[in-house]
Amino acid sequence: MEAEVIEAELVLPTYLSFKRVQMYEKYPKGQSRGRHWKHLKQILQAENYQNYPPDEPNYVNIESPPSMHPCKRLCDMTGYKAPYYDPRTNLRYANAEVFKLVRSLPSEYVQRYLALRNAAVVLK
Amino acid sequence: MVCFCSQLNRPGQRHWSIIFSTASRERLKKKKMPFISKIKRQTDYNLFPSSTPIVIDNGASYFRIGWAGETEPRVIFRNIVQRPRHKTTGETVSIVGDHDPALLKYFDCTRSGPRSAFDNDVVYQFEIMEYILDFAFDRLGANGSGIDHPVLITECVCNPVHSRSKMAELLFETYGVPSVAFGVDTAFSYKYNQQHGICGQDGLAICPGFSTTHVIPFVGGEPVYRGSCRTNIGGYHVTDYLKQLLSLKYPHHMARLTWEKVEDLKMEHCYIAPDYFSEARLFQKGTKEAEDKTRCWQLPWVPPPTEEPPSEEEIARKAAIKERQGQRLREMAEAKRSSRINELENELHGLGFLLRQLEQVEANDIPSFLSATGYVSKQEIESSLAKVTQSLRKAKGEPKSEQAEVEEKTEASMNEKYPLIHIPDNMLTSEQVLNPKEPKLKKKKKKCIIIAIVIKLLLAMVSIQLKEKRRQIFLKTTTEGRQRAKQKRVEEGLERERKNQEDEERRLENPELYAEQMRAKYKELSERIDQRKRLKTNGSHTNGNNTSGGVGRGERLNAAQRERMRLLTTAAFDRGKGEDTFGAKDEDWQLYKLMSRDNDDDDEGAEADEAELARVSSRLQEIDPKFVPKQELVPPQSAAEAPRLRPLTKEDFQIVLGVERFRCPEILYHPNLVGIDQVGLDEMTGVSIRRLPSKDEDLEQRLTSSIFMTGGCCLFPGMSQRLEAGIRMIRPCGAPINVVRALDPVLDAWRGASLYAAKLQFTEQTFTRMDYYEKGEDWLRRYQLRYTL
Repeated sequence: MEAEVIEAELVLPTYLSFKRVQMYEKYPKGQSRGRHWKHLKQILQAENYQNYPPDEPNYVNIESPPSMHPCKRLCDMTGYKAPYYDPRTNLRYANAEVFKLVRSLPSEYVQRYLALRNAAVVLK
Repeated sequence: MVCFCSQLNRPGQRHWSIIFSTASRERLKKKKMPFISKIKRQTDYNLFPSSTPIVIDNGASYFRIGWAGETEPRVIFRNIVQRPRHKTTGETVSIVGDHDPALLKYFDCTRSGPRSAFDNDVVYQFEIMEYILDFAFDRLGANGSGIDHPVLITECVCNPVHSRSKMAELLFETYGVPSVAFGVDTAFSYKYNQQHGICGQDGLAICPGFSTTHVIPFVGGEPVYRGSCRTNIGGYHVTDYLKQLLSLKYPHHMARLTWEKVEDLKMEHCYIAPDYFSEARLFQKGTKEAEDKTRCWQLPWVPPPTEEPPSEEEIARKAAIKERQGQRLREMAEAKRSSRINELENELHGLGFLLRQLEQVEANDIPSFLSATGYVSKQEIESSLAKVTQSLRKAKGEPKSEQAEVEEKTEASMNEKYPLIHIPDNMLTSEQVLNPKEPKLKKKKKKCIIIAIVIKLLLAMVSIQLKEKRRQIFLKTTTEGRQRAKQKRVEEGLERERKNQEDEERRLENPELYAEQMRAKYKELSERIDQRKRLKTNGSHTNGNNTSGGVGRGERLNAAQRERMRLLTTAAFDRGKGEDTFGAKDEDWQLYKLMSRDNDDDDEGAEADEAELARVSSRLQEIDPKFVPKQELVPPQSAAEAPRLRPLTKEDFQIVLGVERFRCPEILYHPNLVGIDQVGLDEMTGVSIRRLPSKDEDLEQRLTSSIFMTGGCCLFPGMSQRLEAGIRMIRPCGAPINVVRALDPVLDAWRGASLYAAKLQFTEQTFTRMDYYEKGEDWLRRYQLRYTL
């Protein structure tokens, strides 16, 4: 290790005195660790919230509902108000100049703009 | 005691350049200093007695740890872990938090991105959590065996019991912590500010955090989780949105737009507009206010070195060198020419000598004499002599007008050469056959013999004459054909010139329209070619896959193949139901002509189209600087690079933040803008109040008169006004609305927790290891902290 790296104490030491079980004992090398951990979706499924009274607040209960207000239509490229949308690419645009830009975009950019709005076509 | 480490700046700070507004071009005063992590090891761990709790604010963005009762956390760092490989030793190490990028160059960070223990706001990756806790305790100065202090750690609202129990297990088992308490950071922040009189006992706490936003009503000083509400949008989404927008707008500078840099930009420049559309209209019209609000980030840029005009010395020197080189070349050419002249003269002399010798020799001995020299007849010698004299004359540098004469001579000689063409077949004589170039021959000796032989030979000769004649006709036609071709080419060139002229005129009179037409034509042509190519590759692809030779039912993608099939099937069905009489009539077979014609047309059309396309694209490139010729290959990276037809200017290296400044934080109020179908901040208050178990108008009024904002995201300028306006829209008219902000939205949660842990009754709220194992998971699920002690 280089001197300045050691001096800055950048790296986490492998042995720490206050730990009862060290990392290398807990997670021996060679074992894949990624699959141990449940993701949030799996955690929530395992919680079985339906078994408990619905009045009680739990993680899923307190999630917000969808919005009642009409959705704001913004131009995908410039951010201005966009009353129009391009049927070919599904992008929203504000006026004719922006439309020219929209039509001249390569398809990769079109998909990225749509992905910002979560409106891109995802093929699985 | 707080130690401050100034050398460890936030990554990205070194690369900052001047940020100025386009209108004034003055250096902006930075309103907020970027966050500096405190990661120096503390030395006073042993001074604290075992009863002093350690307070941890485990946030999705930052991890803060310190001692209870203090006002500032001791150690603050970003809640991420990287596991890069060291370049020289090759071992994989763990690096927690953000560090000086200069030191990171010793590590290979390509395969290890920063990883977080959080999914949304719930901890799920406990291995990473362990690394983080290791680092935190280590920096707090922990030594000895085990952490012998009670720990108060924050969690999210309604944390799933799985996560809670794993966290408790980690703390008890691995670190030997005697007792643990879990609390919600928003509640701690509220209590802290309540004690300072910012908010009342009843109020609404709004906490836009890193990945989620919560609204929690407080009644009687305690949070009512039943009425709380959570939207999955936060500072992370705002930064991500800004990063994507800028990357799409400036694809060339994508490498510069790192996460840390964009976060700095967000903290520095983003604000919330009181009304989005009116602000956007300002920018759309391009008013002066919009100009003032635009910020411009100038990237470091070095102008290309301008070439100085060469000095006079340089010019003179270069001219002298050129002159010398020219001289040398001329000398060499001269030497070559003189040597060639010498050669030719020698040859000439030799041939002349030979001719003179020939005259002296007897006619009969000519062939034997000549066989030694290599020439067959006198004519041959004479012709080669003529040739040599001609080349000699040329080598000696006769003027060009002679060449024209020579050409004429060749023309004339051509006519002479082909005399036989004009003579009809039956009049060819034996003499012309034997010596086609020279009609006259010395007849003296052959008079008597020939008459007898001629009759015999005539028959044979006629055929030879015919052959000769045909040869001459052939030569003449080919040369004539060549001439005609040359003429045609010249004409075509003239025609093209004329067309170009017309084009130019058209372009000059209406450049816009012309450009439009050109572009439309280009697009059409390229589409046609693409389509044809697609059809072709589809056809060849399927043909390659087939082993049986025929095309299967599912693979008939080529339009030509489809057409073919259609024709065949209609032909089969056209006949009567019972019999198949296809082929009885001759016209039926014309069907196959239809099919193959389609394929042929394609090929010819394709070539013409491609040539046209090339021409149009070159034209477009000339006239339209913004034109991007479509590449034949499909790699998406190349699409991002437009050919730079004009030299790069300073403006190309500027990143302008105009509308993005207020567009990005807008998503906190309208998550629909990024596709998250949930309510925004202002509506969330309405939802929360609606969800309260008891419908009490008085209570509601008290709640809205103390709306408390905390969390990192509420530092955006204009947040309070916007929130107030939004809440006023959904509350009944005349309701009291009062929006207050925490004293320090970022650190107040920790401070609140610290104050809480310092109280004597805190120990009642914790649970020990024995409790955890005895009482089981169900108890843990119902465990809630009581915040008013």
